[in-house]
Amino acid sequence: MILMVMLPSLAVSSEINSTGFPANSLHQVPVASNVRCHDLPNDGGGSIVVEWQSTDDPAILGFRIIRQQQDSATWETLGFAGRLARRYVDNDARDGFPYRYAVITVTEDTTTSSAPSEFGSCSPQWFDAGTAPALIGTLLLCGIALYFISAARRDRNLFIRRISGLDAINEALGRATEMGRPTLYIPGLSGISDVATIASLNILGEVAKQIARFGTPLAVPNSDPVVYTVAREVVKEAYAAAGCPDKFNPDSVFFVANQQFAYAAAVDGIMVRERPATNFLIGMFWAESLILAETGAATGAVQIAGTDATAQLPFFITACDYTLIGEELYAASAYISREPLLLGAVKGQDWSKVLIAAVILVFTILGLVFNLPARNWL
Amino acid sequence: MQRRIPLLLVLVVGLFGAIAAFIPHRAIRTPDEILRNDVLRILTAFSLVLGVGSIVRHHIIRITRRVEHWPFSWVTLIALAITAVIGVLGGIDPAKPGLLATKVGSFSFHIDNVYRYIMSPLAATMFSMLAFFMASAAYRAFRARNLESTLLLLAAFVMMLGAVPLGRIIHPRLPAFAEWVLSVPNTASKRGILFGVELGILATSLKIILGIERGWLGGGGSR
Amino acid sequence: MSLWQRLLNIDRRWIYAVLALVVIGPLLFPFSIKPKPSPPVERLFNYIDTMPVDKALVISVDFTPDTQAELLPMVIAMLRHAFATGHKVGVLTMDVYGLGLARDALAQVSAEFNAHATSHDDSVINGEDYVFWGWTTPLVTVMLGMGERITKVFPIDYYGNRTESLPITRELRNYEDVGILVTCAASAIPRSWINYAQVQFDVKVGCGITAVSAADFYPYLNSGQFTGMLAGMRGAAEYEEMVETKMIELGKNWRLRRKGTEAMSSQTAAHMAIMFFIIAGNIAFIVTRRKKR
Repeated sequence: MILMVMLPSLAVSSEINSTGFPANSLHQVPVASNVRCHDLPNDGGGSIVVEWQSTDDPAILGFRIIRQQQDSATWETLGFAGRLARRYVDNDARDGFPYRYAVITVTEDTTTSSAPSEFGSCSPQWFDAGTAPALIGTLLLCGIALYFISAARRDRNLFIRRISGLDAINEALGRATEMGRPTLYIPGLSGISDVATIASLNILGEVAKQIARFGTPLAVPNSDPVVYTVAREVVKEAYAAAGCPDKFNPDSVFFVANQQFAYAAAVDGIMVRERPATNFLIGMFWAESLILAETGAATGAVQIAGTDATAQLPFFITACDYTLIGEELYAASAYISREPLLLGAVKGQDWSKVLIAAVILVFTILGLVFNLPARNWL
Repeated sequence: MQRRIPLLLVLVVGLFGAIAAFIPHRAIRTPDEILRNDVLRILTAFSLVLGVGSIVRHHIIRITRRVEHWPFSWVTLIALAITAVIGVLGGIDPAKPGLLATKVGSFSFHIDNVYRYIMSPLAATMFSMLAFFMASAAYRAFRARNLESTLLLLAAFVMMLGAVPLGRIIHPRLPAFAEWVLSVPNTASKRGILFGVELGILATSLKIILGIERGWLGGGGSR
Repeated sequence: MSLWQRLLNIDRRWIYAVLALVVIGPLLFPFSIKPKPSPPVERLFNYIDTMPVDKALVISVDFTPDTQAELLPMVIAMLRHAFATGHKVGVLTMDVYGLGLARDALAQVSAEFNAHATSHDDSVINGEDYVFWGWTTPLVTVMLGMGERITKVFPIDYYGNRTESLPITRELRNYEDVGILVTCAASAIPRSWINYAQVQFDVKVGCGITAVSAADFYPYLNSGQFTGMLAGMRGAAEYEEMVETKMIELGKNWRLRRKGTEAMSSQTAAHMAIMFFIIAGNIAFIVTRRKKR
């Protein structure tokens, strides 16, 4: 209590001096108490958590948090916390330097300081304990995938169920060749950091190889400039791999527009004017999915779609001839190439799903039998 | 060698990105943030130049070769040039004159006006077409051909009735039932798909990081 | 070709024409529909309504002009709600095309309140009652950075003021001061808000999304990661209805225009027309199948 009264006079910060700490207010206004500070766990350092106790008095406007570095006479104001706040994170602390904190309770007329906390310091952590479940899950699922990839080296006759959308690729490309019309490949509207886009580019490589062999024209309009540069290389390499690099037309892969509906308008225009015989809509799509798919259907093209955007799946299913649903998109390159190592990863995916389903089943039963509380993260 | 360097880069950067998700120490987090934010931003800026170059080249080729519908290419190129000139020289806010202070009628050369009077209505028009496409797709797709399609038809019908006041007139609990269909069976099936998708993403990422999947490099397919 | 077969193979342009008439008709001659709020809308409204006055509402206008018909009425209704209940408001956008939309919505709602203001306390003032931070990129940096210090992410607001100098900044420093963040979007951005703001900072997050993408977000609503959700025009109309009732309760019976509610008659008519088409198509399908047999 003596400290609480003395602190204002000890404080040399101009702000603290100017606000003043009327000692008589201690008896009328509740004061923040039991101020503690500790390092913010699982962070990269530089942060100390300050916690305190107080009553929920409507007279309190809020709390001003002040701190003092060891070996310094100055108390500096950090910030203001609301009336209901009981916690403040000081994000401006220097690692390894001890600080202590006090909380000033602010009312309309008074400002009253708490006793200062003990000295505490912060340091960066090398492991975020909060991510431990994610790490264990990732390692387990990666382990399963790696096991099946290595198993595929030994047993090269892995079974993978039929995916009719992928079986139809050759038939659709053959139709385009017969009709002498181009094939349109839309790699979605997302960026290169989206795995669906990468999966789409994998399929584009395989499709481009077939197209190179058939000698039909190909058009790949892009909405992302980075995807455009990668797609161009993919198609160019595919033509080279098919043994006809001279047939590659650099103008067949082009950038259209970065804006969603500008892109949709441009691609619709291509569909209506050039009337491609086959449209591939594979990758990440949003509200433009039906605009593209319906226009393609109206032009009479055979359409093969694939996306992991679940909201767009119904549109593709209604407007396209074949649709790769969710994970089929990621299994596509393995399915088309029949490469054992890739097929091994697909097998790993299947067993991971079995594991997840088993975990859900077991915990659901346990939860129901023992009436366990539902956890938010589940 | 041409292949090895990109594959090595992917291995190093991919593993580093994965590790950084679990290590908060700034010795790891700071370079990770630089990679994710600054490097990506710089790459995007450069690739945008490539993108604009691609549009210009694509349409100039169409014009010079007199490809079918080539006059449309002029529309694209002129629109691109006008927007770029207004964006760079015209200024943003109509209240503050830019270098292009002249007006055509009541239209002043500010990018804000291009946005408000050209881009905005054009984009809204494209989005509104969705309603028409949805109606025609629903008409063709929702047919009671077999058990599955009948179930799909019934679910669609319940959802639509739940969304209109007529649903409440038919049965007061119909909107709540539609809400239940959306939040329970729909969510359950979506979660099932999402599990598959996330595992697919994990496996694809792993294959790319380890260099097993090389389709994105073009031509290679896989190891 | 019989009438049923003709109906079965109807040219899609007829469908477009009928739908156009059905959509335009009620816009010209509207009929009144009183929306009944659904649970996700009620949850969002009640949370904002009952959150402490020292907690701010942050609205992220993450959509572009193409979806403004559905999403802008939500933003306007939420702004009205926050200003009527005395909450501070922060507005930002994750899409550069959303800048103009957010600016216009703020201008409209602040003008509505200021037209009825009799004192400084009643007024809605930029920098005191609301702040428009504008847009910056990249998305992850913004979402994470706001947890530390919003002024670091947005040193200057949309109007060119230094954010540190704004009075509202003292009460709206980072996520600790945010009661709820509502993202209005037609893309996957709400998911990013969950990943970065809700999961990492435990900020309450709500969303306003287009009807077409609503189904995508139900898993997050059920898991409690979204506090509430406004889905499409109907969600906007329901929220408008609740805000209107609240404003009347607060003595602010200003009869403001409610674009979401106005469009409901048109949307209802379109739904009915589509249902009619589906029924007619199925009758034609069944009749022609029987004839074939």
